[in-house]
Amino acid sequence: MYKYDAIDQTLVDQRVAQFRDQVARRLDGTLAEEEFRPLRLQNGLYHQRHAYMLRVAIPYGLFSAKQLRTLALISEKYDRGYGHFTTRQNIQYNWVTLEDTPDILAELAKVEMHAIQTSGNCIRNITSDAFAGVAADEYVDTRPICELLRQWSTLHPEFAHLPRKFKFAVNGAKEDRTVLLCHDVGIELNKNAAGELTADIYAGGGMGRTPILGSLIKQGLPWNVLPSYLTALLRVYNRFGRRDNLYKARIKILVKALGPEEFARQVEGEWAHIRNSDDNFTQAEWERVARHFTKPAYKTLSALSNEEIIHTATQSEQAAFARWLERNVKPHQVPGYASVILSLKPHGTVAPGDATTAQMNAIADLADQYSFGELRVTHEQNLVLADVEHAKLFELWQEAKKQKVALPNIGLLTDIIACPGGDFCSLANAKSLPIAKAIQERFDDLDYLFDLGDISLNISGCINSCGHHHVGNIGVLGVDKDGEEWYQITLGGEQGNDTSIGKVIGPSFYADEIPDVITNVINTYVGERSGDEPFIETYRRVGVAPFKEAAYRDKGENAKKKERAIEGGVA
Amino acid sequence: MSQLNITSHQEILHFPKGGKPTLAPNEWQAWSGSQDEGGLPDLEYGTHKVLVPFTWWRSQINSHQHEADIIAKTKNGQIGVWFATDDDILKHADVIDAGKQVWPLVAAHFPIFRDGRSFSTAALLRNRFAWQGEIRAIGDVLIDQLLQGARVGFDSFGLRPDQKLDVALKQFDLYTVTTQNSWRDQRSTLSA
Repeated sequence: MYKYDAIDQTLVDQRVAQFRDQVARRLDGTLAEEEFRPLRLQNGLYHQRHAYMLRVAIPYGLFSAKQLRTLALISEKYDRGYGHFTTRQNIQYNWVTLEDTPDILAELAKVEMHAIQTSGNCIRNITSDAFAGVAADEYVDTRPICELLRQWSTLHPEFAHLPRKFKFAVNGAKEDRTVLLCHDVGIELNKNAAGELTADIYAGGGMGRTPILGSLIKQGLPWNVLPSYLTALLRVYNRFGRRDNLYKARIKILVKALGPEEFARQVEGEWAHIRNSDDNFTQAEWERVARHFTKPAYKTLSALSNEEIIHTATQSEQAAFARWLERNVKPHQVPGYASVILSLKPHGTVAPGDATTAQMNAIADLADQYSFGELRVTHEQNLVLADVEHAKLFELWQEAKKQKVALPNIGLLTDIIACPGGDFCSLANAKSLPIAKAIQERFDDLDYLFDLGDISLNISGCINSCGHHHVGNIGVLGVDKDGEEWYQITLGGEQGNDTSIGKVIGPSFYADEIPDVITNVINTYVGERSGDEPFIETYRRVGVAPFKEAAYRDKGENAKKKERAIEGGVA
Repeated sequence: MSQLNITSHQEILHFPKGGKPTLAPNEWQAWSGSQDEGGLPDLEYGTHKVLVPFTWWRSQINSHQHEADIIAKTKNGQIGVWFATDDDILKHADVIDAGKQVWPLVAAHFPIFRDGRSFSTAALLRNRFAWQGEIRAIGDVLIDQLLQGARVGFDSFGLRPDQKLDVALKQFDLYTVTTQNSWRDQRSTLSA
């Protein structure tokens, strides 16, 4: 993976010093909270319900065992013994103090990490495929471009105060694992007929209040001109994006208002003036960065068949091990290797994406022992050991079980994406975590989950959509009605190559109705499916009607029950 | 328009490209363009140097009524223009190209510190219009915007009156490296 040079290290060290001074000015009162707010946000520091929350970048999802140990140390020393991995390849600490933040950032800087631009109205941490460089379906390793763009966007002066936040995703695989079309800018890397690296640019995607999929505005852009093209694109947005209404300030609203063709034309017009500028990447820059992303020292191994791998386990454990192989182990480019997903979605015990200090330390050891000391974090909030030998999978599985990160539920109903919700977040209208817990408890039967197969369920505590509910096959959105927490259900969302925005099925539900509603929706799928058809295909084939009917079947009865309970309580 | 926050600190922070940051008394008064204030401030008896809104400049230059007088005062170093955040400077390239011949300085306004449009205005004035003269940041100009402003093309800053100038002066040497090109500096390389 990328190793900081003296320039990168100096920059993060100086950023810590700058932030330390800003915090000192806040604490002595010379900097007002309103004016400090954008400054702390640009360094990942939010003020939440109970405390400050610090969001640390894991650029394009790639990090080392050494870095994970520092993340563990921070969780122990400055937080409450855990961290929360997010959908955008960051880790969040929910209980830090403002006074400690500069020291935390200094700890991070020692291991080449930072919290720069993990929030605020600027170019955010750039996300990519968690399996970049190893995925069997990859046509371009996205990591060198991600790293070049990370450097280019870090402390970019012209785009430090955009109308709103700005998120890049970069994909280079056949199957999109980045939710590319839901980003302000999606960069799809490819090779042209001459074998040259090029980019297709999608603009104007986003979730939030107005979910929109990005539009293709440029094809076949040579990789080296990305800085000038993106400067042109961001300049058009910086100048003309709306600033009068927070909810209409994202680039998606500008692209929609102008139309993608007109937006593309304006970007092209601006780019014409700067396309040959020395802002572009040079071949020397490419070589300096790309040499860090060479293959690790793989052994020459012969691939084991699935059957052979299963037989590396003791007989009594073969059935359970086979399940884990089926769900949590992914194909690799190199014979004899596989990528392993460690599930951070145990049923009903911790929040989706959470890892304790002890787990982080143990997982760092596993990375050292089984995967060249490297890890990845996925959009689904799980961790990946990308380079594991087939012959060692059984051993790793046993170790992972000890850490409670071996549940074979990747891609199944209980692999829930969820934001921290109303338990922590001051933006949330409703809690997310108790809903995730209730659903995981209701569906705590692996046989049944395996029978249901691929299905995604995403929960957001408010319309900011951090839990990406719009692209869940089943989406749950917390809404506030007269001070009470309600939940709206969407169906038919999908990430990947057929990315779709889910449709709201109707009026919202009480929290305690949700497990029954999900059960009714799932039962409808089971009744309607044909053969091995996954949920999303059944939904697309039969439409929303039977699901909707089932979801509201008990609605009247539940409402009466609630009324009776309230009356009983009053009486 | 009269509510505009265009009153700056009495001292201006100058930071020329390749130079050091220094303070000097503010000789320029920014005028909102409001006729309620009696029109263009009196250049003979009041403040001697006035920054006028770009929209007002355009209206006067096009009216031909006062054009000669305004051009004369501009050439005499008494009138400069300031750009509002919603002035589309690329749409008025002809006016700017002509203005470049006479303006002693230009300014760009920050209605609130977190509005970054004037960063692009300054970048365009430097890159597209090759403006070599002074570009001053006016309005809600705070200490923590100085570094960004200095990099995109500003070389003088009329800070908001409550900002501490000693702290402001220290902002420009916080970083000794950069990872992208800007008007002021090229990205750092190890070999250079």
